[in-house]
Order: sequence, then structure tokens, then C-alpha cells
Amino acid sequence: MSVLEVKNIQKSFGKTEVLKNISFSLEKGEVLSIIGSSGSGKTTLLRCLNFLEFAEGGTISVNGEKIYDGSEKRSMKENEIRMKRLHFGLVFQDFNLFPQYNVLKNVMLAPTLLKLGTEEEIEAGARALIARVGLSDKTESYPCELSGGQKQRVAIARALALNPDILCFDEPTSALDPELTGEVLKVIKSLKNGDSTMIVVTHEMGFAKEVSDKVIFMADGIIEEEGTPEDVFGNPKSAKMRAFLSKSFENI
Amino acid sequence: MDGIQAWFVQQFTELKDKFILCFIDGDRWQWIFDGLLNTLKITLFAGLIGVLIGIIVASVRSSYDKNSESLALRGGFGYHLLRFINGICQLYLTVIRGTPVVVQLMIMYFIILKSSTNGVFVAVITFGINSGAYVAEIFRSGIMAVDAGQFEAGRSLGFNYVQTMRYIIIPQAFKTVLPTLCNEFIALLKETSVAGYVGISDLTKAGDLIRGRTFEAFMPLIAVAIIYLVLVVILTRLVGVLERRLRRSER
Ligand SMILES: Nc1ncnc2c1ncn2[C@@H]1O[C@H](COP(=O)(O)OP(=O)(O)O)[C@@H](O)[C@H]1O
Ligand SMILES: [Mg+2]
Repeated sequence: MSVLEVKNIQKSFGKTEVLKNISFSLEKGEVLSIIGSSGSGKTTLLRCLNFLEFAEGGTISVNGEKIYDGSEKRSMKENEIRMKRLHFGLVFQDFNLFPQYNVLKNVMLAPTLLKLGTEEEIEAGARALIARVGLSDKTESYPCELSGGQKQRVAIARALALNPDILCFDEPTSALDPELTGEVLKVIKSLKNGDSTMIVVTHEMGFAKEVSDKVIFMADGIIEEEGTPEDVFGNPKSAKMRAFLSKSFENI
Repeated sequence: MDGIQAWFVQQFTELKDKFILCFIDGDRWQWIFDGLLNTLKITLFAGLIGVLIGIIVASVRSSYDKNSESLALRGGFGYHLLRFINGICQLYLTVIRGTPVVVQLMIMYFIILKSSTNGVFVAVITFGINSGAYVAEIFRSGIMAVDAGQFEAGRSLGFNYVQTMRYIIIPQAFKTVLPTLCNEFIALLKETSVAGYVGISDLTKAGDLIRGRTFEAFMPLIAVAIIYLVLVVILTRLVGVLERRLRRSER
């Protein structure tokens, strides 16, 4: 049984159709990379999975349970949405850490508010996660005292604190200086070994090639090409994909 | 030379006599002192009520602005309730900001709270409600200025709207609007000087009473002006210090 099964997701903003019939599935422990040029709908897809946007059509199932049906979205209660959202974690392009709290509190806040344990348990869990992203010496620091790469690692720890079934990354390194992308990608890689199921929207082709079990190439709101990284990068079938690849590697 | 000196001495003696007449005779300084206390009391409590009302109204209004789209999409009772409460808040803001505070004070004193004999209480309520409308708009601008990503981070972590506001948005909004808020408080201090219209003995009224009793206008009115000025200058300084502090902690 797939951890995630997405079927026929459609999303429009006004008259613009941003997602047209997106379907894919993901097995436990797999890493899916989504690539594609800017404006192709990658962010919108992640936002639909995290219910920051509501798809007009299609279904989302997690562990075999249908958690979202676009045709029934009117009947969804706020609480229900909140609970179902927790199947997913989201790491944003520009971190969105809470500037008024230190690193520890950033990671602890969600499990504390959602009452996922005693204060001691939550703090121990948070410290373990912070150690896992290599920031034990920054527990008391505030976001403004951290580099971009460190901020993003805190954001990853914060998302992991709710132990989501699927962790989503929206261009986690795009806001970083080139020399800082490595440390973040390394953390994501280490999560793969820790058996997390992940969806990573990325422009780092080398990373996608190396880490993914599956790659999806999106163009104009549809999945133009999908497969193993070997297939998609080594033997692209669609003309758009070839054009995109040659442009991506040109820039390197 | 002697003439000039004598003139100065005479002026000084006159001033001294006036001072004694206005403030010492009949312990009239006590009027000023009591008036000042009332002014401070009204300003402080009205300010607190204003902040409380402001936070609530601003939360409702920005919650409507931010969520109405997604709520309208899904419809239901929550949407209509929020729309209704938002409508009430709108009405409140329009009425309060569209009428002079003196008129509001008189309506409160002579009509709505006519049974109350405590003028200071009536003033606290009136100025609190009045100030709330302005504070609400200050807070709303502060909430709107918080990055949209902060709301989304909160929501993606499963917080409900109230938790997102309470733990993430309001602390940040509060920090950005604190200087503006303090300026609103300073404006409030000066605005309370109309309390005398309904017979509340605030600082201004005390000065005016002394003027009426002694037929001496200069002394009491200038004294009142100086007291307001000193208060405002001190508060403005404090706001300046606060602003610099906040800026430093931002980095
Ligand atoms: N809230 C929105 N309102 C209107 N249009 C939007 C909104 N969000 C995204 N879009 C549009 O949807 C398209 C896809 O955007 P996005 O999902 O951000 O693409 P990507 O992440 O692949 O760059 C773009 O054309 C963008 O302008
Ligand atoms: Mg994007």
C-alpha cells in the first residue's frame, strides 16, 4: 500500500489552470523529487497537499485512507482539516521560522500546543531533532543569529517534531547562498537513511539524481515526465524535459 | 538703574501674589493635584481598555480579511458568524471614528450611563471605547505587516487560528506597532482634557475652576499647559528609548 496516493488533482486561480489532473503515488521511505521550470505549479501542488490551498478536484489518500476529496471540500470542518494536515510536514523556501522564539522553542512550540506529550518529553524530543540537524550548539540562539543554512535546518527539525508521514520541501535551498546549500542537502540526505518519506521540489539536479527514488518533471500544470532518476535524466522522452535539462546544466 | 530694579521687584511680587492666590490660598494646588490624578487615571484605564478592544477588533477584522476567501469557498456557519461579527466591528469603527469624542462623552454621560454618578468611570469607558477604534486599526496594520509565511508556517504545523494569532502573529505585530501605540496613548492623554465638558474634574477642569474662582487666567492655565507638556515630553522620550531598543534587538 502506498503511503501517498494523489489522483487527478486540479487547481485554478481564477481562470488560470495551475494544476491539471496531477496523479502520482509514493511508497514508504521513498524520496520523490519534483523538478520543472518556474511557474509550472510545483509550489501549488505542495500547498494543496498541505491544505494551504484547496484543490477543486481530485483525491489525496494517505496510508490507504482518503483524506481529501475535491468534490466534498465544502463539508470539511476546520478541525478536520487541521488534523489531516498533520500527515504532511512542510519546509518552506524562506524558512518562516518564528523570529520571537529561540531555536528550541521554535521546534517545541507545535508539539506543545498540540499536546503531544509532557513538557520534558517534548523538550527531549526537540533536543534530539536539533542534534540530528547538527545544531546542538545553537539551541538557545534566535533565528536572526543564524545563517540561512542553519535556519533551514531548524525549519526541518521543526517540521519533523510533528512526526509527519510525508515531509515536503519547497525549494529548500533556493534562498541560500551557494556555499550553504550543501549542509541542508546533507541533512535531507540523512533523513532518507532514517526512512522518512519525502517530496522535494528542487532545482538541484545533482541532488535529485543522487537522492531520489522517483522524479517528476512538471510543465504547465501537468506531469510531463516521471520515472526513476536514471530514466528521467538519462533518457528523457519529452522535448520539454530535454530543453529544461540542457538549460539547467548550462547554468552550472 | 534703580527704576528697572524696582520694576522687576514689582513684577516678581505681583507674580508671587498671583501664585499664592491661585495655588496656595484655599489649598487650591490640591485641585490641580486631584485633577492631574483623574487625568492620569482616565488615560491609563482608558488606554488599557482601548488595547483590549483593539486586539479583539483587529483580530476579527484581519481574520476576516485573511480567511474569508477560503471560508466562503467552504461556506457554513463559521463563515456567516465571522461575517456578522466583522460587520459589527466595521460599524463600531465607523461610528466611533466618525463622531467627535466630546459628543461621545456627552452621549455616554447624559444618556447611556446617566444613572452613574462616577464621572471618572464614565470617562474611562468613553475614552476606552474611543481609543479602541484607533488602536484596532493600528494593530490591524501591524498584523497585516507580519509576513504571510508566518501564518502559513503556523497553519502547516497544525495550529488553529487563535493559536496562530496568539503565539506567532500578535507578538510580532505588537513589536512593530509598539511605538505607534505609545503615540496613540500620548494623544489620548491630551484628548482627555475635554472631560470637563461633563463636569469631570480633570487637570484642565481644575485649571479652569481656579480661573473662575480667582479671576486670574494666566497662572492656572499656563500651569496646566506646563504639566501636560512635561507629561508628554517624558512619555515621548520613553517611546524614543523603546524604539531604539526594539531596533537594536532586530539586527
Ligand atoms: N495565490 C495565487 N493566486 C493566483 N495565481 C497564483 C497563486 N499562486 C500561484 N499562482 C500562479 O500559479 C502558477 C504556478 O505557480 P507555482 O505553483 O508557484 O509554480 P512553481 O512553484 O512551479 O514556480 C504561476 O503562474 C503563478 O502565477
Ligand atoms: Mg515555487
